[in-house]
Amino acid sequence: MIEKKKHSIKEDFSTLALLTMPIAVAVNFVGSQIHHALSLPLFLDTIGTFFVSMLCGPWVGALTGLIGSLVNGITNPSGIPFALTSISVGLVAGFLARAKMFDTWWKIVISIALTSLVSTIVSAPIAVLVYGGVTSSTDSLFAATLMASGVNIWKAVIGTSLLFTCIDRIIAIVVTRLIIKVIPARNLIKYSLGNNYVKNSTSKTA
Amino acid sequence: MFREKLSAVKENPIAALYPTTKGWIVILYCICVTALSTVKVNGYALYLIPLFLMIPVLFAVSGIWEKFFGFFKSIFIFVAFIFIVQTLLIRSDAVLFRFGFLSIYEDGLQHAIFLCFIILNIAGILLWLFQTTETKEMTYALEKMGMSYKASFVFLSTFQMIEVLGKSSKTIMNAQRARGIETEGNIIVRCKAFFPMIVPLVVSSIMNTEERVLTLECRGFDTKCPKTRLLELKKSGNEAKAIVISVIVTAAVLIGRILLWVL
Repeated sequence: MIEKKKHSIKEDFSTLALLTMPIAVAVNFVGSQIHHALSLPLFLDTIGTFFVSMLCGPWVGALTGLIGSLVNGITNPSGIPFALTSISVGLVAGFLARAKMFDTWWKIVISIALTSLVSTIVSAPIAVLVYGGVTSSTDSLFAATLMASGVNIWKAVIGTSLLFTCIDRIIAIVVTRLIIKVIPARNLIKYSLGNNYVKNSTSKTA
Repeated sequence: MFREKLSAVKENPIAALYPTTKGWIVILYCICVTALSTVKVNGYALYLIPLFLMIPVLFAVSGIWEKFFGFFKSIFIFVAFIFIVQTLLIRSDAVLFRFGFLSIYEDGLQHAIFLCFIILNIAGILLWLFQTTETKEMTYALEKMGMSYKASFVFLSTFQMIEVLGKSSKTIMNAQRARGIETEGNIIVRCKAFFPMIVPLVVSSIMNTEERVLTLECRGFDTKCPKTRLLELKKSGNEAKAIVISVIVTAAVLIGRILLWVL
């Protein structure tokens, strides 16, 4: 692609994107089921959001995050305030994908740092102000232990959340990159950002 | 498995209310919760506790009493955890009880009751809304309010997709197990099995979307014209009564709250 592609929201929400969103939400749902079943300190519920954001841009990603939280909220509404975190994940990952920040390994490292930082900034106030700092997830046990030993509530929540979000995002981004690598180019180019991940083999052979 | 229910006839008059009406009831209930949470008896927000007892009553009169404990189990665990941590962590001068090294402080207990019953109340009323209203009815009402039909398509097909992915994840797990990937054992082994399961799962579903796009286009998904629908939702006739009752209750709560301030 020589000419720079202009991104329009309407183009992002193609029929293919509309059909990919349910898959992404279902993947998020499966991930969070695993999180609950194994009671891991990792949430694993952002893989689908990352996938959609990387292929279809920030707005589709944000909507995927929102729907995912609502679907989870139907059986347990106490987690709905964290929808804001999911939306922020979708937005940040989408804008990073537009800036081609998932190409090389050092760019991926920056992306991991940025996405975990933003999710922590969004989720820590929710955890502290809505739930008093501690929710029932396993990483809260660490935060509660820190708070019990006298650490300030904000420091405890932000510290543990940053650590576990970072690990979570590493897994999510690595899995998503693996998935995108396996998808054939003829499927990838149909997404609005899919061209970024297609290796330009035609120029070499021609 | 994918057979859809075409009619939404409900016997129970409360469960059969129009989704938007239920939405208003939820909003009014949340206003009541906020108003009552500011009323403190000796520093404890005790009025939230009888208010929460409304939720099981609401479940019972809506005819879904048997679902109450099943769905509330996870919320109760969530709230119990928060309650314990709040009572033990927030410290003040006034000690209420002391068991060995654990002591419960007055501030901690006050904050724990306040926080937990707000969460229980709001989660409870939302759960009531979601359990009495099918997603199809909810998206129908939202579409009538001006939401795009594409959004409701995404929302509805999400639920189908969860079922489909659940099924194909079992197939993939069996296939990978046949190839020699260990899926049972301690947590580390199960975590390692996560990657060879999730990647084929997503990739195979993505490959299938192409076909589904063609199917949708054939059926005129993108055409700009009024859409027909199989599900037609009618108001049951009790909507006005329900709204009036809940507005009166909310007004009474708000007036009581203001009187307490004034007096």
